[in-house]
Amino acid sequence: MKLTWRRSPYEPLAQRWPLVPWPGQKLVEIELGVRWGPPESPSRILVPVSDIHVQRARSGFAPGMGEFKVHRVRFFNYVPVGIRCMAYNHQSHRLAVSRSDGTVEIYNLAANSFQEKFFPGHEGRSTEAMCWTKGQRLFSAGLNGDVIEYDLEKLSVKYSVDGFGGPIWSMAADPSGSYLAIGCEDGSVKLFHVAPDKIQLERTLERQKGRILSLSWHPSGTHIAAGSIDYVAVLDVKSGSTTQKMLMDRRHPGPHRRRCVVWGVAFLSDGTVVSTDSAGVVQFWDSETGTLMQTHPLSNSDVLSIAVAEKEDSMVVGTAEGTIFHFQLIASRSDGKQSQWVRTKPFQHHTHDVRCVAHSPTALISGGVDAHLVIRPLMEKVEVKNYDAALRKITFPHRRLISCAKKMQLLLFQFPQRLELWRLGATEAAGKNEDILPLSRNAEHLLQLKKKGPENICCSCISPCGSWIAYSTASRFYLYRMNYENNSVSIKRVSKVPKLLNSALQILFSADSTKLFVASNQGSLHVIQLSEGALKHLHSFPPQSGTSEATTLLAASPDGSWLAAAGPSSGVSVYDLKHLKPHCTVPAYNFPVTALAIAPGTNNLVIAHSDQQVFEFSIPQKQYTDWSRKVQKQGLHYLWLERDTPITHITFHPQKPTHILLHDTYMFCIIDKSMPLPDDKTPLFNQPSLREASENVRRRHAHAFKISKKFQPLLFMDLLDEDTLVAVERPLEDILAQLPPPIKRKKFGT
Amino acid sequence: MVNLRPRGPRRVLPIGPVVDQEDEREESDSEEEEADLEFPDGGPTMETVEEEEEEDEDENEAPEELTFASAQAEAKKDERRLRDALLRDKQLLKEKRKRREELFAEQKKRKLLPATLLEELTAAPQTIIKESLPRLGKGNTESENQEKKEEKMFRTRVKKRYVACRLKDQDLIDLRQQAAKGFIQKYLYGRGSNRTTVNQFLSLDNKRLPVKKPAVQFVNNNWGAERKQSAKKFKKQWMHKKKLASRRPNIT
Repeated sequence: MKLTWRRSPYEPLAQRWPLVPWPGQKLVEIELGVRWGPPESPSRILVPVSDIHVQRARSGFAPGMGEFKVHRVRFFNYVPVGIRCMAYNHQSHRLAVSRSDGTVEIYNLAANSFQEKFFPGHEGRSTEAMCWTKGQRLFSAGLNGDVIEYDLEKLSVKYSVDGFGGPIWSMAADPSGSYLAIGCEDGSVKLFHVAPDKIQLERTLERQKGRILSLSWHPSGTHIAAGSIDYVAVLDVKSGSTTQKMLMDRRHPGPHRRRCVVWGVAFLSDGTVVSTDSAGVVQFWDSETGTLMQTHPLSNSDVLSIAVAEKEDSMVVGTAEGTIFHFQLIASRSDGKQSQWVRTKPFQHHTHDVRCVAHSPTALISGGVDAHLVIRPLMEKVEVKNYDAALRKITFPHRRLISCAKKMQLLLFQFPQRLELWRLGATEAAGKNEDILPLSRNAEHLLQLKKKGPENICCSCISPCGSWIAYSTASRFYLYRMNYENNSVSIKRVSKVPKLLNSALQILFSADSTKLFVASNQGSLHVIQLSEGALKHLHSFPPQSGTSEATTLLAASPDGSWLAAAGPSSGVSVYDLKHLKPHCTVPAYNFPVTALAIAPGTNNLVIAHSDQQVFEFSIPQKQYTDWSRKVQKQGLHYLWLERDTPITHITFHPQKPTHILLHDTYMFCIIDKSMPLPDDKTPLFNQPSLREASENVRRRHAHAFKISKKFQPLLFMDLLDEDTLVAVERPLEDILAQLPPPIKRKKFGT
Repeated sequence: MVNLRPRGPRRVLPIGPVVDQEDEREESDSEEEEADLEFPDGGPTMETVEEEEEEDEDENEAPEELTFASAQAEAKKDERRLRDALLRDKQLLKEKRKRREELFAEQKKRKLLPATLLEELTAAPQTIIKESLPRLGKGNTESENQEKKEEKMFRTRVKKRYVACRLKDQDLIDLRQQAAKGFIQKYLYGRGSNRTTVNQFLSLDNKRLPVKKPAVQFVNNNWGAERKQSAKKFKKQWMHKKKLASRRPNIT
């Protein structure tokens, strides 16, 4: 362990890199697995172990009510994987995003851009292209040569078909949605016919010389433009022959004469082919004659992606420097007869390569190697100028990746390819508000569990007592038994798992760690009894009639009598565990559920939705509680509703039944149901000012939502015991430091 | 006047000016005349010419004539001499090489024998292969058991050239996929791409601020790793030496 350099007095407090320790903080070096760039790039980073803060979380009437010791954890080395390709579906306003490890995520852009569905990745898969065909079917193709269809109901891979052309570089669906064209490594463009249950290879068009890196269909479905290395070819679909071949001249800047790679191509309905290549130019070609009509040199580095709006009056391109450019068709004469493509706006929201872009009717969407998903609404397309017209940047996950065993103070971190178990540090000191307490025992990395097989981990959980760890990939379920003696940890795999547990979408342990609840991808819920020797399958709840949707969230009541399960679009179903039968269903809401929890004692189910609405449903009475009705009647504060990130975890205080603790990425809130609700005129974030104010002012202005923005960006927050909280943070700079090398930017004076 | 060093035998020049045939009269006169006024003593060529004059009085005019045949013969002699020398050198090198090869073969033979014994200890019994083993010429003097062992060892060594691997493991390491990934890596991050490290990228803003700050990662702890390691080793050795020296009683 070693301390690093001190901070200079001129640095602003917001600067966090290099990781300057607080006085008394210890740092641990972590070896990074991947080295990028020249040898001087860091292969080890310094990560602080958790240190303990004392913070008065909120000030209520009773002094000392809201004082917590906070374990501030920063050793969760979460690095999001870069985005490789995306596809926008106009009918359902959904965006399918694929990352470089094969993970596919589906964002519902109409529901506050919430990540609804998640398909874990696979080591052998590396997706290069995705597309939607008619009937909301999603296909992806990658370098392993397969075309994969995803089952959006069951959240699994339906099947994969070999393309027989080597690695597949690009894929496009024709406008009618009945054909799929793929561009392969060997230079062939293959057509697949999309049948209701699977796809079938129909024929191969004329084979080209180099690998086909980009494809685009003409809106009429008669021609395909294929971009390869040094040329763009226009193929006639009916005959399969090449009608036109446009050669790029090798104007690659710089001393290295490299070939010009056409990364993106788009075919417009008037016969114009737009090509973007590695020389940094966007060129407009006439496909009839094969001549170059316009050329726009954008940058010195590659222009990697292009997307055209449905109306074909605007398009967006993304470059390797992280800039996206907006092109618009502007009438050049006053009577509007002639129009020209003009480059209008550059946007710099990324630091690394922008590998894919999409154009929705009102927004430009881009994603790249820096793992941000940026949604930029276009001002001229937005009707109402409200908060929806603001820039959205999605970096942190919308699901919970961390589980906590409260009694043993253990945290289980879920990475795509391993699990890490840490024990939190301890302190004996006491302090007042905003003090940093020294650790008497440091946080320990107890266990690293690598996944078996090529598939990534889908979900994981640790039991509250800490002695069971379960995780699941897309095809197998793993359960481990843990043993803690003195200072050592031993782990043993439970091999006799019931056969029906072949894979799980969600795993949850009951509060007393005797039962395991597994939501399988067939739609059913299994209840398993845990014991030392073997597992006993107690019951399986079949999927709700009417919907065979997969369950994405589970919550169990602390007394062990109720279980709540939520899917992406159906209502929340509640099951009675004592009698093992379904109990009731909360009425469906048109926004997906982001977090679920059941309160101890009152057995109220608290549900958070992606539009930031919070509902409280009483399970024994099968109706919404009075408090929830009150909130709905008055409506939530407008600042609360304008939050960007969804609530990912809800928890309760065992001694204080009126408190609900919830958090999203940038704030942590305690809702006190006994206090009055704020209306739009009162300031929502008034905790810091109320702390200094006098008793009278406090009584007048205090309201139910006590929000703290001290810990940001939060990945997880939980209540360990009466006066201890754990907050897992992930500063953005730590993620940035581990990304691949970006393009060099030359700034004057450096 | 400059007294140049005496030059070697050379053609004799007439003292007087060389004149054309028209001035034959002057020729005879020139012989009688003394040297120019410029060189009253006769000049630099005087002495040698005088000597030569005594020797080669007949050869005043034309240089010696060599016949073509004699010159050719001389050239041929030289060539032959050179060729012979080259051939001799080549022969010498060849012999040297041969000797070295033999030496190596012998060394290999010597080395091979204990290795074969070791392999025989670990290898499983195989079917008998009938082969002539010239390398075991040295081992011929040993007992028959050892010969059999060597044969067995030779057999196992032959089989060890094949390695079995599961196709299931090979599935994920698709060569084509690797080549495709290499293509992307080459074009986006390869030679001509203008890439920089994340550290330099983030530090660019620090340099433009009104109060200039150091780079984001200012100290690189990986520099000179080898030197640091060798320094550590040296330090340990030095301390050990000092410890030993202090323990040993100093007998004076």
